[in-house]
Amino acid sequence: VTGLAAPGFPETHVRERARRGAAAVFPPLDAYGRVVFGAQNAASLAEQRGDPLDSWRLVPPVFVPHRLAKLIELAREPGHADVDLNTTIGGFAAPVPMFVCAFGSTEVASADLAVRAAGQAGRLGVPMVIGENLVPVDGYGRSAVEGRVERTMLRRLRAYADQAADGLGGVVVQQSTEDADAEVWNLVYSDPHAAPLLRSGRLAFELKVGQGAKPGLGGMTVVDAADAGRLTGRYFVDHELYGGERALRCGVPGTFTEEILRQQVRLMRNNFPDARVWVKLPPGRDIATAATVAWAAGADAVTVDGAEAGTGWAPSVLLHQAGLPLGECLRRIGRPSGCLLASGRMWEGGRMTRALALGATAAGFGRAALLAVDEDPDEGLMRLVAAATLELRLAISALGKYAARDLDPHDLWWAPEPPPAGSDNAMGSGMATDAVNLAAQR
Amino acid sequence: MFAAATVQQTTGESRMTDLALPPDPRQHLSSATTRAAMRVQSAVLIAAREFLGVHDFTELLPPIIGPVTDPGVRGSKQVDVDYYGHRYKLMTSVILYKQASLLAFDKVYCVAPNVRLEPLQTVDTGRHLAEFHQIDVVVAGAGYQDAMDLAERLFRHVVQRVLDVCSQDLASVRRDVLALKRLPEAPFSRIPHAVAVERLRAAGHPQSADAEVDWVGERHLSDSAERPFFITGYPKGSRGFYDRESRTTPGTLCNFDLLAPEGYGELASGGEREASHPVVVERMRETGENPAKYGWYLDLMRGGVPGSAGFGLGLERLTRYLCGLPYVWQASAYPKVPGRVSP
Repeated sequence: VTGLAAPGFPETHVRERARRGAAAVFPPLDAYGRVVFGAQNAASLAEQRGDPLDSWRLVPPVFVPHRLAKLIELAREPGHADVDLNTTIGGFAAPVPMFVCAFGSTEVASADLAVRAAGQAGRLGVPMVIGENLVPVDGYGRSAVEGRVERTMLRRLRAYADQAADGLGGVVVQQSTEDADAEVWNLVYSDPHAAPLLRSGRLAFELKVGQGAKPGLGGMTVVDAADAGRLTGRYFVDHELYGGERALRCGVPGTFTEEILRQQVRLMRNNFPDARVWVKLPPGRDIATAATVAWAAGADAVTVDGAEAGTGWAPSVLLHQAGLPLGECLRRIGRPSGCLLASGRMWEGGRMTRALALGATAAGFGRAALLAVDEDPDEGLMRLVAAATLELRLAISALGKYAARDLDPHDLWWAPEPPPAGSDNAMGSGMATDAVNLAAQR
Repeated sequence: MFAAATVQQTTGESRMTDLALPPDPRQHLSSATTRAAMRVQSAVLIAAREFLGVHDFTELLPPIIGPVTDPGVRGSKQVDVDYYGHRYKLMTSVILYKQASLLAFDKVYCVAPNVRLEPLQTVDTGRHLAEFHQIDVVVAGAGYQDAMDLAERLFRHVVQRVLDVCSQDLASVRRDVLALKRLPEAPFSRIPHAVAVERLRAAGHPQSADAEVDWVGERHLSDSAERPFFITGYPKGSRGFYDRESRTTPGTLCNFDLLAPEGYGELASGGEREASHPVVVERMRETGENPAKYGWYLDLMRGGVPGSAGFGLGLERLTRYLCGLPYVWQASAYPKVPGRVSP
């Protein structure tokens, strides 16, 4: 354990899962027979009101036609182990609808944890995204003279590829506007070390349009004075903010219009025909249009990074006060016309199931993956995924379904706002108008 | 002009033979094939200079390094050079400097060396080199149709000169010269990109309408052609920011490729260049570029650079075609095949 902390994130729970794996889905075994368990109180639900994705509930039905179909198929009553979670995530086969998000170039993510996460993601066969700014800031890692080899992209690529499960998963290399100067994609595409992934169809490039933690801003890192000098000229570097010993390096967000996004995606397909194309969008108010443009231009996946997302350095004003919550992003997108991926405070199966019910194909772990490998560098991420996998199977089967793709908004219920005092509607139906509208859209 | 045959999805492996990669330098430089190819290449250069000189072009020597270069297409990587602590690039093409040269002369050409770290899968296309040369031509005030006319006339002149002075060399590499001698019989066809896409799809090849004609598709078109031909009007998103977008057909670029017949594929790329500063900035973003690094070029654009059209004719590819060689590296004295460590 490195002392990594994640305030505001359910860190204790994630660490417990990294230790106990799927067993952590249930209360501690020593409580069995001695403690009674029930729902959380209403206040804790109300606190989660920031993201509708957290206040919606999974609502299993009484009548279950999908279960009947499965019963006929199996010739026995189906259980949660019969839920099929195999899927295709942005062109990559995956055993579960989960992937590992980019960690960015922060000190925490650049250290050994990211390499550990890469190895475990490879073993699991889930896709992994490698973040922007890594090559311009830390070098690629092909030769020692480039810089700190231990922090480089190549080390993560190798860690994944060396342990990769047969035919599963893939590596997604992100590039932002300023990364284009370092030609990150071109570098990887022509690199012998990446050739096995490319040949097996397991390399993708992700165009980073923005991110959830600080929508509208570019990547930010705090660097020491030496790095600040090296990076000045290539980035905006604020040397004064921290009194001189350390400095704030700011990436630009990049300028996008519908036409710019459309053409950038097309150029990626043109220039890297053997790689998949992913697009990462910030939780902008025009998210639905942006996602549609990306899919229409040929993106294999569009990741929506909700306002709850983030692993890197971000100013509080944007962290806490900007961007649409993930649930609202998914609601605005409605029925996706391509592969939709969701990220932002993902760590357990409930939020994940709700995201899948709202149209996502898979959910991405960011902070949770880092915390898990921090808790246990060898098995932490694998146990976290095992726990979420069990929860997904339990939740989906409880909804009377046996494939993640069968989920839909009818599987969710959103508690209505308390009606005003004296209202005639004080005994409301319990089905929120938004949920009905959303289901109708689909 | 195109046979209706089904596109063969030729894999690299099946095309590879013992000859697919260059031998050691001694064997390569002393081979009769290399000598013949180099004499033909020398004749090509003499003929091109003769033609362009007569037509009032000024030859400029191209730069080798610069703060930026052609961002290129199809995934090739630029080579960085440490220039007194600044990151410079070896030229991938001289395109940006060609436009700048119009501030001095209206008609300019260069014989320009280029370095592109091409993706590894190009090792066996037979037509990629990491280091190669182009005869780069630009004309102020010209349109892309003018540039195609010029490229065709230059091409015909060069072929005729090579037939005149290199007959022994062509015979020594067993070139079927009949195909070359028949070039004057008809003008080169000009096929819109959209039509090329339709033909490839009709032949069973899933060519994207939004992208370059891929290598398999290009080989098919080239195989089934009887003489060189142009593909015109590539879609935006398949080429660099400098190719001008059609004002009448948005989404289509005023550009072209010249392809050789007999399966030899692309010989030249050209087009009309965008000269409007704000449009160039927007197009840079559309091609994923960060305008900040193109400072000197954008300053020139802001101050005004003449509209122009031009092309780059691949010298080794042209030599390979004229000699009928299986591999483009045979048309280079010191070939650098992508990914291969070579002198």
